[in-house]
Formats: sequence, structure tokens, C-alpha cells
Amino acid sequence: MMARRVVITACSAITPIGRTRAEIVRHLVEGISGVKPLRNDGLLTDHIHSGVYGTVDYPIDYDFKRSHSKTMGPVSFYACQVAKETLAASGLDPAFITSGRLGVAFGSTHGSPSVQRNIYKTFFSESKQQFASIGAVDYLKSMVHTTAVNITKMFGITGRVISSSTACTTSSQSIGFGYESVKYGIQDAMLCGGADEYDTTTVAVFDNLLACSSEFNATPHLTPRPFDVRRDGLVVGEGAGALLLEEYEHAKNRGAGILGEIIGFSCNNNGGDLILPNTRGITDTIALALKDADIGPEAVDFISAHATGTKMGDVIEAQATGSIYGKGPVVTGLKSYMGHTMGSCGAIEAIITLYMMAEGFVPPTLNLVEVDGRCAMIRHVQHLEKKTIRIGAVQNFAFGGVNTCFILKKIDT
Amino acid sequence: MRRDAIESSILKIFAEKFEIEAPGVDDDLRDGYEFDSIDAIELLHEIEILLDTQLTRAEKKNAMEIRTINQIVDYAAALAAARCQTDSAGPECLSTTGQ
Repeated sequence: MMARRVVITACSAITPIGRTRAEIVRHLVEGISGVKPLRNDGLLTDHIHSGVYGTVDYPIDYDFKRSHSKTMGPVSFYACQVAKETLAASGLDPAFITSGRLGVAFGSTHGSPSVQRNIYKTFFSESKQQFASIGAVDYLKSMVHTTAVNITKMFGITGRVISSSTACTTSSQSIGFGYESVKYGIQDAMLCGGADEYDTTTVAVFDNLLACSSEFNATPHLTPRPFDVRRDGLVVGEGAGALLLEEYEHAKNRGAGILGEIIGFSCNNNGGDLILPNTRGITDTIALALKDADIGPEAVDFISAHATGTKMGDVIEAQATGSIYGKGPVVTGLKSYMGHTMGSCGAIEAIITLYMMAEGFVPPTLNLVEVDGRCAMIRHVQHLEKKTIRIGAVQNFAFGGVNTCFILKKIDT
Repeated sequence: MRRDAIESSILKIFAEKFEIEAPGVDDDLRDGYEFDSIDAIELLHEIEILLDTQLTRAEKKNAMEIRTINQIVDYAAALAAARCQTDSAGPECLSTTGQ
């Protein structure tokens, strides 16, 4: 089977800790959290115990034509903005972008919940016009694959479309399936990522499952606390991330800057419960990614843990990770800085790992003051470390029992 | 509703809802302003609000070939006139066909 090298030649992110590489790195180096008080949605927030949210609280200067923006909900604004910046940074020839050799793998947790909420409002409206107020545009704005196809429309992309919607593994699946599309010669490049907009429905779901942080509402920057003894749950957040994956020779021949290489990917399922984390499933997905990359665990320098800050999830991940890596690679839970950006977390964590590779540092897991003894079998980072990362692994796990892991390698250029 | 009032309202809708400012009344909206089928559906909803009525499926289908502001105004004026013939004619209907 054809197996080609796949490199990353551009990326862009919208995160609760900033937009630019410099701003994101500054937050990581200085230990600044992007978790803020949960803003009021006028519907659910009064009933939710968790009062914190990974918040994008800076203005974004969108410059989209109405012919593009008319089919976009907030989630697609995020997605199209990072896609636009990624394509611009890539320097790809416009003729290549529309040639069919570039595809899109992009998703979100559930399309645009704010548009869906407006649709439901019409059901209870007294307005005489309610009969006609749900239109094609509302569907195009809110459907599950709205991010992917608004991107294809905006840039005239005609290659394959993959739109994963697997909650927390959405964008890591985008990256993984995009990687496989290029690796096996189906596409020469894939624009991959994920996005999720401000949404309290997701907070309510986790809150009702007693999985949301609620003990730090007055001090949002102190939560989430992955692997810490005082952790009390995850913090939902918003954001977006996009990466351009490109066949190595194609990138090299056009003189593209190479940010890193993807050398392995795995995705499996726990084969049972849809909520509970599963040691066997996570252990298997880590092992499968190493096998796909054809490397041993000793080759990995850094692990970006899923590390949401839940009571059991962190323990299971630490045990599974420790069973394969021991105390070899350093481990950081990047969600400690920005909360869980859901469908975009895998892409954002990949981008941050690339930044860390480029700048030679590893940030600590924020708020990790006292490691839970049940999570102590891995090498936690509790202080900023200067370190060369040649190979890093990004782990993500989702409701539905979906597990992913992909492995990034630094390329010396 | 007079035809000139309908035209004024339609141009206001184009400016506010579709960000299309002062198009020529005989310009092809699809070619000149990227006004597509999605926009057409949205426009029909705006016409329903303007005329305070609900369009039938047949009336909506009749609108799908419309390309210009003039055609849109003719379409809306015809709808207004038809409503006046079927409804008990109020004061507005007296000037429906006024030019």
C-alpha cells in the first residue's frame, strides 16, 4: 500500500489564551489561564452549578462577504477564520486549492447550537411569522457539517469532505483521517481541524453528570486542575484550530515551511459504555499510534494528555499512559489553561505542541499543585521546562468511547 | 399598498438584509450581486412580512424565475392586489394598483 510522508505546513487557532503564536506561548510561559466566569445565556446558566468557561473574550475582525457569511453560524465564523488564515499562511497556489487535490476534514460537536436554539424558540413563539421563520439558511448554519462545507464554499475547495462529529475527538479525528487521506495518496493535502462556539448546552450536560467543575466559580483561573488532588471536573470552552496537512514532497518542492510531520495515528472504541473512561481502550489506542508510527515509547519526548480534570478520567488516562510510557516522556494537560474546547481541542493541542517544538519548552499543567497518588505513575510537568521535543503525542478521548492518538515529529529544516 | 411603496420597501430589504445597496431595477441580481436561491427564499419570507400574508407553495414556485428588482416589485404588487380581491377590501387596497 502506498504510504507517503505527511507534513504540516500551516496552522491557525482561536483559543481562550489568544490567537497568535506569541500570545498563546506567552500565556503558557507565564501561566495565565483563559478560564473566565460563565457568561449568562438567559436560559440555562441560572440552573447550572458550574460558573466557569474557557472564554474567547477578544474581538475577531471577520472580513467575510455576505455571500459567504449568510450560511454561517458562530461556529462557522470560527472555522472559516482559522481556515482562511491557515490557507493564507500556507502560500498554496489558488489553482491547487480548487484543483480537487485539496480536501477538508473539519467538524464540531453539534453544528451551531445557538442557531438551533433560535429554531426551537420559534416553536414557542406567538409570532404570526413563525411558520416561515425556519428556513434553509438555518439548517445550513446549524447542521453538523456546517464548518466543513462553509470552508469548501469560501475557498472553492473541491476535494473530499470529512466532517467528524465525535465530541472531544472531533478535530483529532479530522487530523487523523486527513493524515490517512494524504498518506495513502487519496489527496495531496487536507485542511483539517475543528471548532466549537460558546454553548451552555454542553455545560449543562456535563454539569448534570456531575463532571463539571463548580468549586472554583469565584476563582475561575484555578480550574480545571488535571491530575491534582483538588480537581473537581472539567471546564467547557470555545475555540477553533486548523492545520494544513500536505504530502512531504509536494511541500518540499514548492518550498513550503514545514512545522512538523505526522508520523502516526490511531482511533479505536472502548466497545461498551458510552461515558466511562476505559483503561484498555486508551492503552490500546496509544499502542496502536506507536505501531502506526513504527516507533517505541522511548522515542516520545512529550505527551499532550487529554486531561480534562475529571475525577476518574484523569486516573484512567494516567494509568493507561503510564502502562506504556512509564515515567519517560513529560506529560502536560493543556486544557488546564483554557478548559475543554470540545470539538477543537485536538487541533488546538496539536498546534500548541508544534509551538512547543519550535520554541523548545514544555509548560506545566496549570493548577497541578499536588499530584493525585492515583495519577502519579507518569512524569508530570509542574514547572516550566526548557526542553527539546523531537516527538510528541496528542491524546484525546470522547463520549461514545472514542479514543484517538496522533504523533507529531519535529523536522529540522 | 402602492407599487412605489413596495419598490421602496424591497430596496430597503435589499440594503438591510442582503447588503445590496441601490441595485439597478433591471439588473440581473444573480449575475450582478450573487443573489442565489437561498437569498430568494429569504426574500419571500420578507415579502410575507411586508404584506402580512402567507404565500402558497404555488406562489413561491412562481417566484423562482424572478431575476430583477422590477420583477420582484411586480410580483409583490400582484400578490397584494390578489389579496385585496379575496379579502374584504380595506383602505390599503384602494391604492394597491396605484402607479
